[in-house]
Amino acid sequence: MKLNKSGQEELIGFALIMIIVAVVMLIFLSLSLASPNKKTVESYEVESFLSSALSYTTGCETYGRGLRDLEDLVRDCNGGLTCTNGDKACDVLENTFTEILNVSWRVGPNWPYNGYTLKIYNEEETEILTVKEGNETGDSRGYTSLDGRGNEISLTIYAKP
Amino acid sequence: MVNKKGQLKIQQMIFMLLAVTLFFVMIGMIFLVISTSDLRREANLLEEKEALLLVTKLANSPEFSCGDSVDNRKTHCVDLDKLMILQQFPEYEEFWGIDNIQVRKIYPVGDEDVFCKDSYPDCNVFRMFDRNLTADRSNFVTVCHKELREGVARDRCELGLLMVSYKNK
Repeated sequence: MKLNKSGQEELIGFALIMIIVAVVMLIFLSLSLASPNKKTVESYEVESFLSSALSYTTGCETYGRGLRDLEDLVRDCNGGLTCTNGDKACDVLENTFTEILNVSWRVGPNWPYNGYTLKIYNEEETEILTVKEGNETGDSRGYTSLDGRGNEISLTIYAKP
Repeated sequence: MVNKKGQLKIQQMIFMLLAVTLFFVMIGMIFLVISTSDLRREANLLEEKEALLLVTKLANSPEFSCGDSVDNRKTHCVDLDKLMILQQFPEYEEFWGIDNIQVRKIYPVGDEDVFCKDSYPDCNVFRMFDRNLTADRSNFVTVCHKELREGVARDRCELGLLMVSYKNK
């Protein structure tokens, strides 16, 4: 009876140790698997792209200001302006950015990228534009650009895992 | 009987020691894998940074950059009008230690390659020297030139890639 009790206590102790070991292992595993997913590396290539794309001259002309580039259109869209030809600044901004992203960051099974997300917010953190293509992966790189008026333009590119 | 119990306890102890050792070895392996993958990632990023900085340095040099000739331009802006003039000076071939430089407009998309030496400014490929380029470094740039609209010279900027192949890597 005494022997049995001692054996049971040892078994409980052993089981406890195994449980603790398993829990610690699970924590380590989940940490190692989860942390890369949240990490977006700042990329010089994305920075160059954003800086160059924002200087692209669009076909939208506004009264007294001539042809607008994409950076100007972010402000015009935020202000609800319309081009002289009647197109809305927001429509031109969305169409141009969609096309530029489409030719610059090819997404799909035969290309190196899995997807991208472009988000533009104004200074009140209200969304102006979101362009999304493909799927998100753990391996992402991006850059956030601020224009002189507090608008925030961020682009994240998702590479193949 | 007492001996048998002692042997069992020693066996238990051995199993526990083995389990603990294996546990720490596994943690060590996981840690190594994570740190190695981070190193590889950092190495790739550094390589990318080096390549892009080399091209950006060239794009921002006085011979290439838009400077004040184009309104409201910052970095990564290449003045195509300047490049067309620069092309006429063969002495620049040795100036940068570069094999060739190419500027390719990627947006708006052209149907086929139209070289600037044949049809400027309605072109999409500019080559500094008249030979093929094996581009091993490239970066996004804004490609700007002046155009006449209603009798007034205005800036027209497009999205392009500055490609450079170096002689000495």
